[in-house]
Amino acid sequence: MIEAKSYYFDTFQVDTPTLERLVAEALGSGGSYCDLFFENTTYGSLLLRDGAVTSGGNHVDFGVGVRVLAGEKTGYAYSESTAWPDMLACARAAAQICDKPVDVNPYGTRNPSRGEPNPHADRYPVQQSWRAVSMERHLPFLQQLEADIRSRDSRIVKVIANLAFQVSDILMYNSARELKWDTRPMGSISVSVVFQEKGRTENKSTSRSLRCGVEMLTPALAQEMAQEVVKGIDDRFAAIRPKGGQMPVVMGAGASGILLHEAMGHAFEADFNRKGTSIFHDKMGQQICPKSINILDDGTLPGNRGSVNFDDEGVPGQKTYMVEDGVLTSYLHDRISAAHYGVRPTGNGRRESFRYAPLPRMRATYMESGSAKAEDLIASVPNGLFVDEFSNGQVQIGEGDFTFYVKSGYLIENGRLTAPVKDINIIGNGPEALADIRGVADDLTIDPGAWTCGKEQSVPVSCGIPTVLIGHLTVGGE
Amino acid sequence: MELALLTQEEMGLARHCLDYAREQGAQQVRITLTKSLLNLVGVLNGEVDKVSHALDRSLQLQLFVNGRFGTFSSNRLEKEGLESFIREAIGTVRMLQEDSYRKLPGAQRTVKNARSGRELDLYDEAIEQLSAEERRKLALRSMAWPHKDQLENGFTLIAEEGEYSDSVFDSLTLDSQGLEARHSETSFEIGYESTVADPEGNHFSSYWWDAAPRLKDLQLEGCAARACERAAAQIGPLDIPGGTYTLIVDSECAGKLVTPLLNALGGYSLQQKNSFLSGSLGQKRFSPKLTLLDLPCTPGETGCRLFDSEGVATREMPIIQEGVVKTYFLNTYISGKMGLEPTVEDATRVKLMSTGECATQEELLKKVGDGILVTGFNGGNSNPATGNFSYGIEGFVIKNGQRVHPVREMLITGDFLSLWSHLLYAADDARLCMSKLIPTLAFADVSFSA
Repeated sequence: MIEAKSYYFDTFQVDTPTLERLVAEALGSGGSYCDLFFENTTYGSLLLRDGAVTSGGNHVDFGVGVRVLAGEKTGYAYSESTAWPDMLACARAAAQICDKPVDVNPYGTRNPSRGEPNPHADRYPVQQSWRAVSMERHLPFLQQLEADIRSRDSRIVKVIANLAFQVSDILMYNSARELKWDTRPMGSISVSVVFQEKGRTENKSTSRSLRCGVEMLTPALAQEMAQEVVKGIDDRFAAIRPKGGQMPVVMGAGASGILLHEAMGHAFEADFNRKGTSIFHDKMGQQICPKSINILDDGTLPGNRGSVNFDDEGVPGQKTYMVEDGVLTSYLHDRISAAHYGVRPTGNGRRESFRYAPLPRMRATYMESGSAKAEDLIASVPNGLFVDEFSNGQVQIGEGDFTFYVKSGYLIENGRLTAPVKDINIIGNGPEALADIRGVADDLTIDPGAWTCGKEQSVPVSCGIPTVLIGHLTVGGE
Repeated sequence: MELALLTQEEMGLARHCLDYAREQGAQQVRITLTKSLLNLVGVLNGEVDKVSHALDRSLQLQLFVNGRFGTFSSNRLEKEGLESFIREAIGTVRMLQEDSYRKLPGAQRTVKNARSGRELDLYDEAIEQLSAEERRKLALRSMAWPHKDQLENGFTLIAEEGEYSDSVFDSLTLDSQGLEARHSETSFEIGYESTVADPEGNHFSSYWWDAAPRLKDLQLEGCAARACERAAAQIGPLDIPGGTYTLIVDSECAGKLVTPLLNALGGYSLQQKNSFLSGSLGQKRFSPKLTLLDLPCTPGETGCRLFDSEGVATREMPIIQEGVVKTYFLNTYISGKMGLEPTVEDATRVKLMSTGECATQEELLKKVGDGILVTGFNGGNSNPATGNFSYGIEGFVIKNGQRVHPVREMLITGDFLSLWSHLLYAADDARLCMSKLIPTLAFADVSFSA
């Protein structure tokens, strides 16, 4: 929950004159912009393994990052202490980016909510803070979760359940005298289950991650996750490796949003376009996929893992359409790229922690629903693949080639789902795949899993998509 | 700012925390104090684009209280605050469930010869003399961008990003049985990524990098040019049909195929029955051409360490010898649960031994004749329980031992037991800058999809 300004000043032992003085020192060598990012994060974790919660702990991460911009060039330093001499040393280290005084305004338009948090932007209200509750109270949830899982299948030999939670107090100040503060909660549960049948072993996993408090740990959630992690295990044992090659692929609603994240989202991040490396760098305003398709990146979904009241540059979280009616309409901007393109920042300046300078990063990336029915899309495929569970993905920005790893899916034969498949990688090219979307269903689902994007730094994101038919992708197989 | 090396005051604080935790009720305690300093200069298209300076400290506590165990850390290293943190931590451990296997390793197993942290000769005092200006010069020195007109031959260099960085890492591990083990090292790194465009405007990107514990050993020259050459070499990819081919994997990326083997030999995977190498100890599971050693104690070599995260002394040992699994990686906890003798937590400096027929990649390609040379992986994953894998690849078609044309958007699929049973050749060209010394490899009969 967002506290009063004085809470953050007390936490970091600073006041407004100190912040002003630090910014002035950082700009003393001629930088054109400076921002300060204070962070106090407390983490907690509990691990259930072999039937008992026998491991846990707490962690504290505290510090301040100082960024100095000289045009589009960045100087960055941080300190794990907010004592004045340590912060001053940081400011001077960051100022080394300035080899000569510059006089440009790199951050474009001013934030409309300058000086105060937007009172409507509490996107992660908390009923009960993780900090206010003893970890002992979380043990029954993990124990119940394990019991629920084990009760559903006699082939289970191992269950690992992990609860991780964190609360971050953030204070931001910049040379435009914008002062922002926020408290960001996050609760994540991951479960991994090992099954054995007739000497064969298979595993399944699932996760939940939300920006909310202890109230997320409900019996209903335990049952939901237990059902999910056991569901489909018969198919997993029966699954085959398909014959590889190019084929139509129906991406199931929800976690298939990884396609958007890898194939399009990264290439829409403005730093790659500003540098000319993205395959979309010269396609602004062009039709890049069939009309009626809308792709957006959204920092406003309540409780979503990727949501932000403010991004890590103090810009309000917002909903950004990247593709409208098939036309590329916006990149994802931090302040540097927004100034470069002469547009407003889109609230995508994010960072892993005070140890990192912000970069354009995704939040929750998804495609809006279309008008087709999922079953009709499947029925339209004579021979192809349906995929619905994934583990990871990757993209090559310059070429646009993306891949994602499929944990489970089904062959489509004569318009029907038939043999289950598993452990295959799919590869394609972003612009080609976008242009090759043959149909979009009306069943948009945002995946609630613990997705983390690893572009130089790790930040929490989420993704979603309705059921989508892509004409051709390359499928790994025998 | 002060140099990143641990001060006497900081080490004294760590010892105090150990004593304090015992006073507060912990029967056993392990403390790891780390400190690191990183300086980085980034360049973009011929100019300095980024500088950063990072100083990190962290104190990690592992507490064993009444048969219970917890891990805690803080980067707020003030005595009073840490004492309060330890009291709360012990309270947290008390509410966890008992686990009789949690204990420190036997004192006879812990390292005795890591007193100064410099025993492995991984610390280069040259780092203490480097100025900000010298770092800028190092970052700019090997750029290809200023000479792009000479480089461009049928392509345009679109962008060149690079980073030079140097770092100092220092750690002290203590435990309540008297362990005091220190490790210090420096690291110098250079890396470039180039994006080129062919005459039709298609983009291709690649990278090259080097790292060394000593500045004098860092291969700065030609780094950016090599990244550019690697990107340009991908221009003009042709489609080839999927099928079964001989797979050759460049030493730059061959470690990708070794990591799953090491993970499968890790104690946690084995104990959780989530390993395709369960029950393999002492068994022949791979080609007799596969020998994998752990060489953690070689002075001056990247990634070497005299002790693991428990403070247990590392030693040279075979991991897989002529296809036979020779060790699992078992820490004190997991070994107790599995009823096996403990070894070390993890592999440190893995070396895959050459099969002896060829030293260089060129010689290996001649031996193979025809196949597909993989120079980079694009995504993919493997199933730890079954060993099944599927990876995206990029590389070149090889005919008569020569690169013919690039390929991309291809996938290899299989399982690791079968793959490593089909090992044909291992060259002797591992990159010393990597913590795993894996040379160019060749495997027979691998499924490619295209």
